[in-house]
Amino acid sequence: MDLGQLQETIKKIEAEVVSQLAEASDVDGVRTLDSSVLGKSGTLGSLVTSIKDYPPEQRGQVGKTLNEAKGRVKKLLTRRMAELDRAALDAETSAAAAFDRTLPGVAAPMGSVHPVTAVQWEIERSFERFGFTVEAGPEMEEEYNNFDALNIPPSHPARDMWDTFWLDNGKVLRTHTSPVQFRAMKKFGAPLRVISPGRCFRYETIDASHENTFHQVEGLVIDRDISIPNLIALARTLLMDVMQREVELRVRPGFFPFVEPGIEIDMNCQICAGKGCPTCKHSGWIEILPAGMVHPNVLAAGGIDAEVYTGFAFGLGLTRLAMMKYGIKDIRVLNQGDLRALVPPECVGGPLLASTTDDAHAALEG
Amino acid sequence: MLISLSWIRDYVELPVDLHPRDLAERFTCTTAEVDGVSPVAIAAKGLIAAGVVAVADLPDQRNARLATLDIGDGKTADTVTSAPVLHTGDCVVYAPCGASVAKLGEITESRVAGRASRGMILPGDVLGVEMAPFEAIFLGEEFQPGTPLPAELFEDVVIDIDNKSITHRPDLWGHYGIAREIAAIYGQPLQPFPVVPIAELNPGGLAKVPISIADFGACRRYSGLVLAGVPKQPAPLWMQLRLGHVGMRPISGLVDLTNYVMADLGQPMHAFDAKKVDRIEVDWARDGDRFTTLDGLGRTLTSADLMIQSQGRSVALAGVMGGLETEVTPETSELLLESANFDPSTIRRTATRLGLRTDASARFEKSLDPGYTVLGIQRFIQLARAMYPNMRLAGQLSDAYLQTHESITVYVNPAHVDRMIGRSLPVDEIQEILEPLGFEVDFRHDELAVTVPSYRATNDISIEADIIEEIARYVGYNNIVPAMPRVTMRQFQPNALHELEQRSLEYFTSVHSFNEIHGYLWYDSPWLAQLGVEAGSCVELRNPASDGLHRLRRSLMPGMLRAVVKNRFHFPAFALVELGSVFDRGEQEDGERRHLGLVSARRGKRIENALYQELKDALAGWAWQRFARTVDFVGTAAAAPWEHPQRTAELQIAHVGAGRISVIPLALRKMMDEHLGAWSIAWAQLDLTDLSAMDRRVETLGKIPEYPLVEMDFSLLVPLSNSYAAVADQLIAFAHPLLKQIRFVTKYEGDAIAKDTRSLTFRAVVGHDERTLVEQDAVNFRQAFEAHAKNCGYQVRT
Repeated sequence: MDLGQLQETIKKIEAEVVSQLAEASDVDGVRTLDSSVLGKSGTLGSLVTSIKDYPPEQRGQVGKTLNEAKGRVKKLLTRRMAELDRAALDAETSAAAAFDRTLPGVAAPMGSVHPVTAVQWEIERSFERFGFTVEAGPEMEEEYNNFDALNIPPSHPARDMWDTFWLDNGKVLRTHTSPVQFRAMKKFGAPLRVISPGRCFRYETIDASHENTFHQVEGLVIDRDISIPNLIALARTLLMDVMQREVELRVRPGFFPFVEPGIEIDMNCQICAGKGCPTCKHSGWIEILPAGMVHPNVLAAGGIDAEVYTGFAFGLGLTRLAMMKYGIKDIRVLNQGDLRALVPPECVGGPLLASTTDDAHAALEG
Repeated sequence: MLISLSWIRDYVELPVDLHPRDLAERFTCTTAEVDGVSPVAIAAKGLIAAGVVAVADLPDQRNARLATLDIGDGKTADTVTSAPVLHTGDCVVYAPCGASVAKLGEITESRVAGRASRGMILPGDVLGVEMAPFEAIFLGEEFQPGTPLPAELFEDVVIDIDNKSITHRPDLWGHYGIAREIAAIYGQPLQPFPVVPIAELNPGGLAKVPISIADFGACRRYSGLVLAGVPKQPAPLWMQLRLGHVGMRPISGLVDLTNYVMADLGQPMHAFDAKKVDRIEVDWARDGDRFTTLDGLGRTLTSADLMIQSQGRSVALAGVMGGLETEVTPETSELLLESANFDPSTIRRTATRLGLRTDASARFEKSLDPGYTVLGIQRFIQLARAMYPNMRLAGQLSDAYLQTHESITVYVNPAHVDRMIGRSLPVDEIQEILEPLGFEVDFRHDELAVTVPSYRATNDISIEADIIEEIARYVGYNNIVPAMPRVTMRQFQPNALHELEQRSLEYFTSVHSFNEIHGYLWYDSPWLAQLGVEAGSCVELRNPASDGLHRLRRSLMPGMLRAVVKNRFHFPAFALVELGSVFDRGEQEDGERRHLGLVSARRGKRIENALYQELKDALAGWAWQRFARTVDFVGTAAAAPWEHPQRTAELQIAHVGAGRISVIPLALRKMMDEHLGAWSIAWAQLDLTDLSAMDRRVETLGKIPEYPLVEMDFSLLVPLSNSYAAVADQLIAFAHPLLKQIRFVTKYEGDAIAKDTRSLTFRAVVGHDERTLVEQDAVNFRQAFEAHAKNCGYQVRT
């Protein structure tokens, strides 16, 4: 091919590129064109290998002609590439204009723990931050552990305080988590910081505010020089942690055979803010934490030297706390397994237009 | 227990403008919980005493009669009354026209049954005394007809003290003990208890009633006194009203007096007809003895019941209730007054066994001060003298008492007090707290010798901690400055089971959207019957919450299936998880195990295989998260009605049984609820108790391969009769230097392959540690793998 033919060919290729670029609708098309024209085996690129076929005096001219042609084609490609890039960006912008950023998708179901479990876990985390260990203990308990080891001998009138479910094997369904105090003392000795959350059982008639099956958490601290001020300070900090707000306490004497002195810690009613409502029986106070200094007999039963160590113990009604926290008015729903009462509707069917469960406390007041 | 404030004011001078709520708050914070304070606000105006002159029936009136009343100054008034008991000669509380009380407003003349009715005979309940409907309060000779009744007599404030908060305080079961606390709270002196001197109970020349006690352990003291001139008069109005305010019905002059002493001091008393009971023998009943108590009921006794007998005949159930046969009647001329002290557990046992808890037994079981027996009689005589001048001693005080213990002295180290309340308390402040409560305080070297008064010495105060409590409550718990404990740091062994429970629950609820429920610990027998489920051998409750709830659950499944029925109305698909105890009846000992139950239910027939598979995968994920181990699902026969005959597997982790997985058979679904026939339900249960001992394997993490890996898929045609697990076991045996991993990808069953086969696709990951693979490597590997598959009897699809 002489120089003239070469130029003819180049012209044709360039014309071809121009028309194909006009058709190219995306960047990929331009890239394909790039390699099919400028690549080693491309229409223009392959011509470079033919330079050696020309007489030496023409080779410079041919090379120059080809390089200029490649330069022109590259320019065309680059310009078209830029056009298409811009068009793609414009298209994305105009498509996004119609996008509804608020439309919900298909909600995946969410699992949930029982309200009492949720509160129990919070409490465990809270106590763990104070260096407490967690012990559970069995629900079917020895009569001795449930009563005698806690300074409640047989036929003591104090046993009336715990209406007991008795089993045909002579054991009981534990009436409180307090037997774990004894178990923990036996297991760990002193010093000791332990909580024991769990289920308890009392033989009583069920109604909206009484259950024969409920949850408590027991706490026990034994060390040298443990005192009443210690007990009150810890109770206060924990209740604020659980309620996530400022709480007021009222401390008064209480009687439990396994503590001496025994106290009751009341919290200002979180539902009426202490003004008086049915939940607090119009007293403004909620009995929340029966407690006291561990009775020397109980320390002795647990194998701990009461001359060296003192301690305090307290109980916290997890079920009651969960009811307060989640605004549950009828205790019976907790053991019925009906998800409508245990799971917020958002967890089973996705978000609601307006939540009816937003403010449980407001609902309770109303 | 109900406490009358006007009664308390007999013993303590309290501010006239005392706000009862303030008293309640201070009492609650110092002594015992006050459940409520309620004013007895009668607002009586113009009430007078009136004598009944005549009572006439009214025609066609069943409940109303016409009473003619003497209203003083020789005047009479006719009034229609519904009082059920009314006799000529009675004296009643009368509201003439124009008088008023809060409950009724002003009394006006009215016409009842065609008769003009002037004024009204006031029934007890209008005057704050709970009695039978329309029953009138009768007055003694203290008021002549026409005498105005002072309005303030009817006013009172009643304080309700929570009984549970005073079970340990025998001294607080009477007004005087409560008054002692209130006096100490307000820093006021306590008036001495009003009694006649004991010498006056021992006049010369009179006999003592013989008393013998068989067991001084059971009857610590028995004091008796014979009195003549049994009162026929009602008790004074103030006494009847006070008894009414604290919840005791006025009954008769004598009974009201014994009840008053009980509510005053806490000492129960009983009166026998002295003609029928002329000597006292306290002894145990014999098994099978019969005895009729005052309430007219026949009781069968046991040898653990303590009896009051006379000449070998039972006359009272000691400390609980008197006998019908020897009760005081209008014909009684002399009475024998009993004031005794019994062993608390004996009384409690009998009262509990007979279901007969009386005001007396409730007090005796608190362990009363034996000193109260004679003190009670002294008080009784002191009151009787003023009320019934005809009453007189017909014998000397007879007192059987084997005093066993001296008074208690407790030694208190003041440093212990300081340590417990968190500040230094001067010993004279301790003394100022303890002495008004009746303690005597002596300083000896570095400690305080505190002598406990007899009324706090029975079952109440015996150790230093008890005294510290007395001090702390009067210092005021709310005055104690909180301070965080200073503790010794130590490490505790982890609680593997608790950890496993919590993490497992967390996994299934957060990774697999199960919703947690709680169920009862016992089977519901009617539900089991509906399911056709045999409960098997269960640990049983001796006192179940109700019939049919006596068996402790051996499995979580029946309860969870019940929850499925509840939820199927409201959700087309749901997954439940429950963590709880189950109980086995053991040969030697019954066992408690912790189970985790999982149930996945979805509306739709024949999707149980898919549900099973989802659940199985969730379980595999759980086992990996907890133990870094895989689970083997070993096909097994159904062992419970909720296990499907062909779709049940045992979970094994490291060859240890971990639980079961299955789907609910159609037949059982239909028995649960007919609509569940169109549902599919898969379930699993895990035994966490055993698993808590399993250690977590530590998985090693490899390095990123230096040379590229190649994935190669192989689809094997496998007879349907071969389980995946069997095929997998065979493939695991394949070894090749280039093989890095092999895993299951998918299965295919359908028209493209033979009818009784399925295609299982596995993906092998192949690579070399030191170079890039070449074409030939892949070819060699493929040949080797296909040869192995062929050896196992499987054709490889291409």
